[in-house]
Amino acid sequence: MKFTVENGCFSYPTGREVLKNIDFELHSGELAAILGPNGAGKTTMLRCMLGFLSWKSGKSALDGEDIRKWSRQKLWQKVAYVPQAKNAAHSMRVFDMVLLGRGSHFGMLSQPGKKDIEKADEAMERLGITALRDRSCDRISGGELQMVLIARALAAEPELLVLDEPESNLDFKNQLIILDILSELANEGMACLFNTHYPAHALRRAHKSLLLSKTGEHLFGATEEVITEENIAKYFGVEAVIGQFETKSRILPDVIPIRIIDDTAKTEKAEDMTKKTAVLAVIMQGNGQAEKLNAVLHEHASLVVGRFGMPFRETGEAIITLTLNGTAREIDMLQAKILRIPGAAAKAVYADEL
Amino acid sequence: MKKTASKTTKILLAVVLIALPVLTAFFCLAAGRYPLSVADVWGSMPQVLSGEMADNTAKIVGTMRLPRILLAMIVGAGLSVAGTAFQSLFGNPLATPDTLGVASGAGFGAAVGILLGQSLIGVQLTALLMGFLAVAITYLIGRGKSEGMTSVVLGGMVVSSLFSALISLVKFVADTDSQLPAITYWLMGSLSAANYKTLLMGLPFILIGCLSLYLIRWRMNILPLSDDEARSTGTALKELRILTIVASTMITAASVSMCGLVSWVGLLIPHICRMMFGSDTRKLVPASMSLGAVFMILMDTAARSMTEAEIPVSILTAIIGAPVFISLLRKTGGFKL
Repeated sequence: MKFTVENGCFSYPTGREVLKNIDFELHSGELAAILGPNGAGKTTMLRCMLGFLSWKSGKSALDGEDIRKWSRQKLWQKVAYVPQAKNAAHSMRVFDMVLLGRGSHFGMLSQPGKKDIEKADEAMERLGITALRDRSCDRISGGELQMVLIARALAAEPELLVLDEPESNLDFKNQLIILDILSELANEGMACLFNTHYPAHALRRAHKSLLLSKTGEHLFGATEEVITEENIAKYFGVEAVIGQFETKSRILPDVIPIRIIDDTAKTEKAEDMTKKTAVLAVIMQGNGQAEKLNAVLHEHASLVVGRFGMPFRETGEAIITLTLNGTAREIDMLQAKILRIPGAAAKAVYADEL
Repeated sequence: MKKTASKTTKILLAVVLIALPVLTAFFCLAAGRYPLSVADVWGSMPQVLSGEMADNTAKIVGTMRLPRILLAMIVGAGLSVAGTAFQSLFGNPLATPDTLGVASGAGFGAAVGILLGQSLIGVQLTALLMGFLAVAITYLIGRGKSEGMTSVVLGGMVVSSLFSALISLVKFVADTDSQLPAITYWLMGSLSAANYKTLLMGLPFILIGCLSLYLIRWRMNILPLSDDEARSTGTALKELRILTIVASTMITAASVSMCGLVSWVGLLIPHICRMMFGSDTRKLVPASMSLGAVFMILMDTAARSMTEAEIPVSILTAIIGAPVFISLLRKTGGFKL
């Protein structure tokens, strides 16, 4: 599956041009984030992408074909949309709500069949909300409702899942649950796309990011290249530091806002171009993840000097030691990519500077 | 285990929902100013069904009570299901079949028909046409301006009050001795004019409307969702909305054309059903048809048998309906969409 936006432009009837010449591309198994300050057009972007709003020019295409040419049913069998949970306060039973996701699989006058009911139940089980089955949607918590809406989307068995600020308004734990689900789904081969207010979430989870500014500019690419201190200053008008937190098994990037800057024409920091040698220790859990690691390493083959791997059968883990040579930034990027593979732990040790 | 149990309850529920209006109709055939026993009614059935009504009992049952009960049944079922559909369509528990102005339009049509001295069938026809016209105007006012249905509802309010004013105008110019009472009585709603001829003209509209709504009973669940959400279920939202409006309008306009403005049924029964069965329209649609039919048969039977003179049925539906509704509301705390 390949989803693209080609040269997408959108302006409101009042004339303000919100989105200009957007090019975007997402493949199966990729997780992408859309970021930008309030009013930059994140939701508008999603709505245009999915055809809820019409692009002024340009198009969205699924597998190369303009989505306007897809039949409604076929399109929504492949694509599912999860709206912001805050708008949904229906007294509908949770199961009935999830079942609505099957709507694209049968005709207007038909009723859901046995298979549809099974798929809805499967989706609820997958998200661990089977216990909510008979509860009313307006009597569950915000986090639970978000899960219900995701279950509804998954019931359609989509290849592309689009979520509008799925982790906003949720507590710590629920944010983590939602983000873990997205990572898992992408790892299983689904393409996922979400709007978010948290650059750190994009850094930790998303393979690709689209950054939108209030003035209609945009930047799209690999997350490590898009979410940088310079770009946050430029697009959000906020001076921020991107730092790393170490846990026993991994290093997590985080973004901390420092202060608001009025003048965005700040000089860019010169990048440290000196090459360093580093050892990156990786422990992978679960079958099939080794291939994902190989794919990542293949992309960055120029960095890899040496490689040693062994399986640890007792625990089902694979232990890989990589010797790398490159700039600190290049090595950081590789590490960030590996960390995005579910079940992977990685940590780098740099050679001391001479 | 659980699955088979729920299947049995489903079948049981279906049987009850079908049997309830049929049994009610049968017992109400016996009720009236001319007392008959249930056995009498049962005994007259062969004659009624064959169309050759020889004795008095068969004549009363066949030509007077049966068409009227059939009318009550179908109008009650129709108005209730139209109310259910509109509440889902507008995502608002206060919506009634009249939200888009169809009843005021049809009422105006009937008033004009009476003013022009038309026959009963003529009055019925103008009522039907004006009902459709009113909704068409509403739709033209509200369409395409904003997302959701808010502007359509506002259009309905405008059209409703416009036609109410026009009804007053007709009343004002009507002859105070004959036409004004006829119009007033007609607007209060009565099933007394029921015969097979009026039935034949109104019935097809209601049946087609009910059938359409029955077919989209699952899709209706999508109507209260936001526009984007609804579209993302692969539903042709505009077509679904138009189908709902057209089906409900056919039902309401035909009902008003046959028996005037019967208030409350389209609000009361859907609410009772939502409190009893939850908000899944797959269950609500058949349930509201069944209970609506039962309620209307009972109300009309009361209207024609309680006193010598007929009581307009709208007065009864309100007087009996309101307290029932209030007690239900107090017990269950009402419902949200």
